[in-house]
Amino acid sequence: MTIIESRGLGKRYRRAWALRDCALAVPGGYVVALVGSNGAGKTTLLHLAVGLARPTAGQITVLGGESAGSADALDRISFVAQDAPLYRNLPVRDMLQVARNLNRRWDQRYARARLADLGIPLRQKVGRLSGGQQAQLALTVALARRPGLLVLDEPLAMLDPLARHDFMALLMGAVAEYGVSVVLSSHVLAELERVADYLILLARGQVQVAGEVEDLLARHRWLTGPAGETDRQAERMCVVRARRAGAESHLLVRVTAPLSPAPPGWESQSVGLEELVLAYLREPGASALPGPAAVRSDSAGAGR
Amino acid sequence: MTALAAPPAAQRPVPWTRLAWVTARQHRVALIGTLALLGALSLYLLIMGLQIRSAYAGVTSCRPAGSAACAETKSLFNAGYYSTAQFMCGLLQAVPVLLGVFLGAPPLARELETGTFRFAWTQGCGPLRWAISKLVPLAAVLTAAAAAFSLLFSWYYHPFFAEGLDGALAPQLFDLRGVAFAASTLAAFAIGAFAGMVIRRTVPAMAASLAAWTGLTLLTVLDLRKHYAAPLTGTGVIPGSPWMVGQWFTGPGGQKVSPSAVLQVVRQAPLSVQEGPNILPWLSQHHYLQWWSYHPQTRFWAFQLIEGGWLLALSAVLIGATLWLVSRRVA
Repeated sequence: MTIIESRGLGKRYRRAWALRDCALAVPGGYVVALVGSNGAGKTTLLHLAVGLARPTAGQITVLGGESAGSADALDRISFVAQDAPLYRNLPVRDMLQVARNLNRRWDQRYARARLADLGIPLRQKVGRLSGGQQAQLALTVALARRPGLLVLDEPLAMLDPLARHDFMALLMGAVAEYGVSVVLSSHVLAELERVADYLILLARGQVQVAGEVEDLLARHRWLTGPAGETDRQAERMCVVRARRAGAESHLLVRVTAPLSPAPPGWESQSVGLEELVLAYLREPGASALPGPAAVRSDSAGAGR
Repeated sequence: MTALAAPPAAQRPVPWTRLAWVTARQHRVALIGTLALLGALSLYLLIMGLQIRSAYAGVTSCRPAGSAACAETKSLFNAGYYSTAQFMCGLLQAVPVLLGVFLGAPPLARELETGTFRFAWTQGCGPLRWAISKLVPLAAVLTAAAAAFSLLFSWYYHPFFAEGLDGALAPQLFDLRGVAFAASTLAAFAIGAFAGMVIRRTVPAMAASLAAWTGLTLLTVLDLRKHYAAPLTGTGVIPGSPWMVGQWFTGPGGQKVSPSAVLQVVRQAPLSVQEGPNILPWLSQHHYLQWWSYHPQTRFWAFQLIEGGWLLALSAVLIGATLWLVSRRVA
């Protein structure tokens, strides 16, 4: 099942397009990282997926064909918006009760157990909790709804490193425990590298990269060789980014087969997710998209 | 990783009672404040109402009726209780808009202002049901409380009507009795809710709805209301404290004459008459008649129903538009 599928999706705010021609088919069961520069359209895409905004063009469906924002979709998608908005003037206990009363499905035992683990007192007002605790409470509330898809918009932005770690531990615990699909947008690449197994990179309101992380990493290499040969190599290969350091040249290239050998005189190294994302962020013109219509789960997906 | 949990076969929406609990919890302070204010005012009206009744019993049972002592009792009653009641009437004019706006604007504006709408509108109940469960119970509680309060006010004020001090259609009284008070409170609530959704910020929405309601009320009192029915016309002293909405003079030929023309005639009268109460009889002797257009008191309930009706319709349209705006933001 695809958890998010879109075709020709576009959203215009007043005059400017925040998102354009967005074609996606994200398979279920992944932790999907949504990355991109500020203003690339991440929040817009997430808001369209959870039904907080309506597309100006094209369409978007979720959870295998439900239209975004429909009753069934709302019932099975939990969304934690940026800054984890909750009712700050309510005590934690009442915040839980509010969430429980707004939903058909609710796992009170799970919510209570998680808050006890996290040491969040039920009598405390939400606004008095630390930023990390508020984020954890928002995540707990989202998970207690037992969603099929959990959507998180910049959940780590306001958190210190320890709180980030705890937040991701709670999230990954839920993924392991009952297999919720997760889509999260974030700027914290190091954190994503540990958890994400699917990547969507947006640039200027369009999809620049989309695919399984493992597959993307297998299809990209760093090549190091003499600077003089750079242009000749660049003609023969798909270069995402070229960087010169003295007599040496570093090329991030997309390869057709994972184990294709480096050209003579060149050294080949594997790529990390963070490096890969940074290279694409620096080169908004380059793209790595799956085949024309839908993402294929086989390994032929990444090159074009 | 497992597949997504399939939804249960019987898709029952979230029950209204549970949604109403959320509304009651979130707007607890505003609801308690509303009931406390109306409660305090009610207590005052109750105590004063009882005092007025015992004082009024003293006025009506005073014998002999025309004596100087009885006139003294009566004038004390008027100076004391009646003038206080006039002051209260002025004060109570502000109650509908205060309550309506303070209860109506925040439910949507605050969510939009603080960003919590991103939480509220992505819950399983859906934004439309959520918005209905906010606006309808709050509107119902507020309107019922206002209606009960206005009944109590009618009871409080009754001795003054019995004494013939006011007509039922007098603007400052019409607004506080019958169905007008409750309908006007509901309209303030609906204006507040709509402004909250459009302006998306609590304090500006409150200010805008305060201004809109005040403008609408002034327009109603000063102009709209007198057109609910064609006024009757008459000359001389019209009995039964009617609501006067216009006056003019006719001359010796029965034609309408301008106030300045009447003034010129008045200047021909002896000086002692000009300034005194006998000027109107003097004018009519000279075939200058003063005419009134007026609504008799018997039209009170017809006017109440017309005003209540259109305010109710306006409120329904505004609340409907607000709900439509909420649902339009999502699929």
